[in-house]
Amino acid sequence: MRPLYLLREAMNNLRVNRGNVLIGIVTTAFTLVCFGVFVLLYLNLKNVTGTLQSDIEVIVYLDPGVSEQAVALVQKRLETEPAAVALTFVSEEQALREFSEQFPEESLLLEGMDTNPLPASVVVNLSPRFLDTESLSAFAERVKQLPGVTHVAYSQDWVDTLTLVVSYFELGAVVIGMILAMATVTIIANTIRLSLHTRKEEIEILRLIGATGVFIAIPYVIEGTILGAVGGGLSLVFLKGVFEFLRLELNASGWFVGVEHVLPVFPRQVSFLLVMTGMLLGCGSSVLSVFGLMKARN
Amino acid sequence: MIQLFHVSKFYDRCAALDDVSFRIDNGECVILTGPSGAGKTTLLKVIFGAEVPDSGQILVQNRNVARLRGGAVPYLRRTMGIVLQNFQLLPKKTVYENVVLPLIIQGVKRREARKRVLDVLKAVGMEHKQTIRTGVLSAGEQQRICIARAIVNSPILLLADEPTGNLDADLTIEIVELFRRIHAEGTTILLATHNERVVEQMNGRVVHLQEGRVVSDKEAPS
Repeated sequence: MRPLYLLREAMNNLRVNRGNVLIGIVTTAFTLVCFGVFVLLYLNLKNVTGTLQSDIEVIVYLDPGVSEQAVALVQKRLETEPAAVALTFVSEEQALREFSEQFPEESLLLEGMDTNPLPASVVVNLSPRFLDTESLSAFAERVKQLPGVTHVAYSQDWVDTLTLVVSYFELGAVVIGMILAMATVTIIANTIRLSLHTRKEEIEILRLIGATGVFIAIPYVIEGTILGAVGGGLSLVFLKGVFEFLRLELNASGWFVGVEHVLPVFPRQVSFLLVMTGMLLGCGSSVLSVFGLMKARN
Repeated sequence: MIQLFHVSKFYDRCAALDDVSFRIDNGECVILTGPSGAGKTTLLKVIFGAEVPDSGQILVQNRNVARLRGGAVPYLRRTMGIVLQNFQLLPKKTVYENVVLPLIIQGVKRREARKRVLDVLKAVGMEHKQTIRTGVLSAGEQQRICIARAIVNSPILLLADEPTGNLDADLTIEIVELFRRIHAEGTTILLATHNERVVEQMNGRVVHLQEGRVVSDKEAPS
């Protein structure tokens, strides 16, 4: 009988204070949208960085006219490296062919030359465990020492910059998330306080007939939790709608053909996070508002 | 049942209760009289834990109310029924919903609660109005609902502060009769009033307060 009564009272509170409740829901939804945008930007940047990082290759350029034995020796040494997961040998002829295919206009420049200026190389795919800057440079240094190797190339710098940007974003998301959370807590707490004020006399009566502070407080905590959850749900609907629209537009633009995996993602956990954050903020704010009720004698 | 030992309570250095001591036994009917500002309401408030005395001790069923923690006060109030002059009903809730509240608070099962509410509504002659909102009832009807709510959990003690203060003469007689019937069924009653007719009609022990002090304590006429 009691749980049903407490739930009914919470619903009644929401109905009686619908103006304030609506303001609370909209503000919660707005703050959670801002928070959600940050989380999505952060996750997507991290996703893109991760994808690009996993594609990093190290190209080991060999001496022009290097013998087959020397190539075999370099490959054998590379195979013993724990960082190397796959090796692909690109001969001088293959390099020229690929260059001509990728840059047909520039390939005319090479036609007048007697010899092929492009060196043979070994393309090394690395294990994800060795993709950090330190491991990469240590690996490159070791490979450079091998006989027949002229140069080792890898494009880590800009990935490092992106990683740095992501870490700044992470920090920004935490700071802005905290500020927005505080704003939401204040707004929901005020909504609940107004609700308490409206029902001041009722609370006095409940105390008179032996209701404990917790019994009186529960409907308000339920009210705050529902308010937060609805706000979270609303922010989710809005974000998901905008996200799907942008995704369709990006798909239609054709910029991502062949690299669809770097297109923005909206993880299911984010949906859960938004609603749960709303609920927790709502519950926490209302607990703060009714804390005095729990201790009061009258 | 109730024992007060040298109870004093001050508001801004002004004594609302000044060294009050007396005892109420089980099944007694005590009428607290005195002019406005004599300390009747304060005395009732210290008994049901709404106020803490500045000095003295109050034992209610062997529990020292003066030293009761805030969290224990609701449990004390569940052992007593409280009726106030301004009714203290929830106007948007029905008669039934108002009366059943103490039972919901105590976690009484729905079927049992329904039976008890209907019994008390019958006792106060309001069973035919159980679905009506209390806000639209007359003053006399509201006070009867208030009494029904106070006795629905079968309290051993009923405290009433000017229960007829807002009622006309006819309704006063009706309500006093209701209190007499409740007392006749064994409930201890402590009723505060300044209405001489109520004092006469209740026919109980009369404790007279003046400026926060007990100035007379007359046994009930046999």
